[in-house]
Amino acid sequence: MSIDRHRPLSIGISLLITAVLVVLSARSFQVQHRDEVLYPSDGLTRAFPLSEVNPHLAGTAGDTEVYVYEGSAPGGSVLVLGGTHPSEIAGYMAPVLMIETLHVEAGRVFIIPRANASAATHNEPQEAHPQHIVIETAGGSRSFRFGARFTNPVHQWPDPEVYVQPISGTTLAGVEIRNLNRAFPGIADGNLTERVAWAITELIRRESIDVSFDIHESSPEYPVINAIVASEVSQEIASFATISLQLDGWEFSLEPSPPNFHGLSHREWTDHTDTQPILLETANPAMGRLRGPTNAELAVLGQDDQYVKAAAIGAINVPFDEEGISIERRIARDLVAIGAIVEAFNMLNPERAILMGGWPEPAALMEDGLGRYLAPARDGTSPR
Amino acid sequence: MLEPHWILLIMLGVFVVCAMLLKVPTGLSLIAASMVGALAGGEGLPLRHLVEGAFTYIDPILIIASAMVFMASLEQSGALGSISRGLLVHLHSRPALLVVGLTVFIMFPGMITGQSTATVLTTGAIAAPVLSACGIPRPKVAAIIAMSAIYGMIAPPISLPTMIMGSGVDMPFTGFDIPLLIATMPLAIGVNLGLARRYLKNIDMEAVLGDLDENHATRHGWRLYLPIVLVALLLIGIRLVPFLAANLGIALVFLIGAAVGTRTGRRFNLFSAARRSIRQALPVMGILVGVGTFIQVMTLVGIRGMLVVTALGLPSLWKYAGVAVMMPLFGAVSAYGSASVLGVPFLLSFLGQDEIVVGSALSLFAGLGDLMPPTALAGMFAAQIVGEPNYFRVLKHTAVPAVITALWAIGMIILANPLAKIIPG
Repeated sequence: MSIDRHRPLSIGISLLITAVLVVLSARSFQVQHRDEVLYPSDGLTRAFPLSEVNPHLAGTAGDTEVYVYEGSAPGGSVLVLGGTHPSEIAGYMAPVLMIETLHVEAGRVFIIPRANASAATHNEPQEAHPQHIVIETAGGSRSFRFGARFTNPVHQWPDPEVYVQPISGTTLAGVEIRNLNRAFPGIADGNLTERVAWAITELIRRESIDVSFDIHESSPEYPVINAIVASEVSQEIASFATISLQLDGWEFSLEPSPPNFHGLSHREWTDHTDTQPILLETANPAMGRLRGPTNAELAVLGQDDQYVKAAAIGAINVPFDEEGISIERRIARDLVAIGAIVEAFNMLNPERAILMGGWPEPAALMEDGLGRYLAPARDGTSPR
Repeated sequence: MLEPHWILLIMLGVFVVCAMLLKVPTGLSLIAASMVGALAGGEGLPLRHLVEGAFTYIDPILIIASAMVFMASLEQSGALGSISRGLLVHLHSRPALLVVGLTVFIMFPGMITGQSTATVLTTGAIAAPVLSACGIPRPKVAAIIAMSAIYGMIAPPISLPTMIMGSGVDMPFTGFDIPLLIATMPLAIGVNLGLARRYLKNIDMEAVLGDLDENHATRHGWRLYLPIVLVALLLIGIRLVPFLAANLGIALVFLIGAAVGTRTGRRFNLFSAARRSIRQALPVMGILVGVGTFIQVMTLVGIRGMLVVTALGLPSLWKYAGVAVMMPLFGAVSAYGSASVLGVPFLLSFLGQDEIVVGSALSLFAGLGDLMPPTALAGMFAAQIVGEPNYFRVLKHTAVPAVITALWAIGMIILANPLAKIIPG
């Protein structure tokens, strides 16, 4: 009897606690839906939403900005894709640094820093990743979102139990249906991830992009790491670039694009466009399953005691010591690789040379820190 | 901040005190342990992490809830009893064949969905009365169902733990069919015949038919089975013609089946049946919520990494013992979590051995997690469908099969390269 009498009260208290928790946590989650402000360099000639290429993206969480830098002289064209997996933070920050420092003398450079904009709006459960990293600049701190590998299920759900890749019929775990780098070449009116993939592939076709970069990061235990991945059509420029980088003291391996693993950017751009695709992969301990405490410092400083132990027992594929692998070093690797590959392209195609620069030298970036070269925060515009 | 191993001890301590001494529900105990773990790790009370972790298993929770409603619908409409009766009438004279046939029958939903829980709650629930009618005690019936469901989850064509590991190392899910059949079918048949061996005698049909529900098919005809046919078609359809069939999600498919069941046999109130079944499933769903927060905090404070590095640092021979112990233990949280967190690094650590065979074997370890308390999803639901209140009595009978399964998997890893050479493909 007394139980029945108290039941409405306990239900009421439970609902109240739930409501408070929902409101408090919802505020925290909503912050991640706000795009951080970028400050393009003076070299920017135009910017447009990706939905101009694929109208099916208009008004969706997959629409994202394309930044275009055009030189005064004619030349070839380059696409730099960042944020295919927004949890691979240097893969986002390298294009951001380019956007804020780039100048092009000849040719055209297209940059999409948030390729999967939806994936930037959440974190993956169980990964305990930070929502933001914070970089100190001359004008104060700027924060940048640390997103997820997959499209936000709020925007695309439910997943099938099994994802059958549309091009090849290859079967993958169902969650991969929200992985942009399994969705290429995409479908114009498919699911959100496929629409984004199609728009990017179509942009490459429409703009006759010569060289296309897709920038990633991976865990230090992953076999393809500190690598340049090239397909059969980009092997030549990638080989020249890898040799040049190695001569300059950078450790890069050259990996072939698997011919039968479909949905990947480098594979499908090879098969469905005329571009020369390149995927870059750096080692980020915040990505790995061996990492210790997970926080924004780990993503930025790249220092982790567990990975030091893992390196000592030979469980990872990159050298790793107490100094770690900082975000500056990872971005520097991406930028030198992009520079070397474009140089190789110019050498082989002098009539279509792409002349670009403006970003800091690797040594300076690693010495001075990323904040020294990003535009200063203005008017508290950096969302937190 | 404390070292991760101390934080882990504190979290386990809080869990034990809450769950065992204070008798707090398991799910809430896990959340309490997570909160204390975050505090000990210097993270304060990270509400966002707790909520994010709590939503990890939202899909499995929806599937469990809807599968329970679907089974209640089949039971109430009379379909469940009629199928059990039919199976027994047709196969009672050959009990060994009956057990083998039922094993494959139970495994089937797992083979096409990669889910053990849905398997236990669907074909497992259909097979349970038949196996009981053979004279097999309830805990052993539940053990047979739980083991079959786990093997079904691993068996081809869809093995989610294997796919998850493959995704972690960028390996497409091709060429796994025969290795996964080797990993599961001999075990499934051998283990179940072993569990049922004492009871494989001629069945006294007069005695057992009286215990079963009447055959409602005589009154309602083929319509009685329409919900099952519909659910099977919808689940298989998305596999066979993925670009044509709509992806409704397993949960919605089960709910459609449950709704159709209200009009195909004995009439019943779906809302009341759903309420009863959700109430039954609530503790397990609560545990999944708690487990999600627990792992999130383990990752946040560095316990996950410490466990993986410790496992990988084991000497060569001990590594086999490590994988056999740690993957099932972590699978207590989730077989899929085990495949992702430990399966991927272990797969990489066995580089040099055929990765397809090794991946198939590691999936068996991950699957065994569904027998590990406190979640023990397969064991707990199997106990529930046979009416066994103490699921530890079921787990007692799955212990030997689990050890045999682990040894089989270790054998596959050791012999991965020779096996790969003889597997056509």
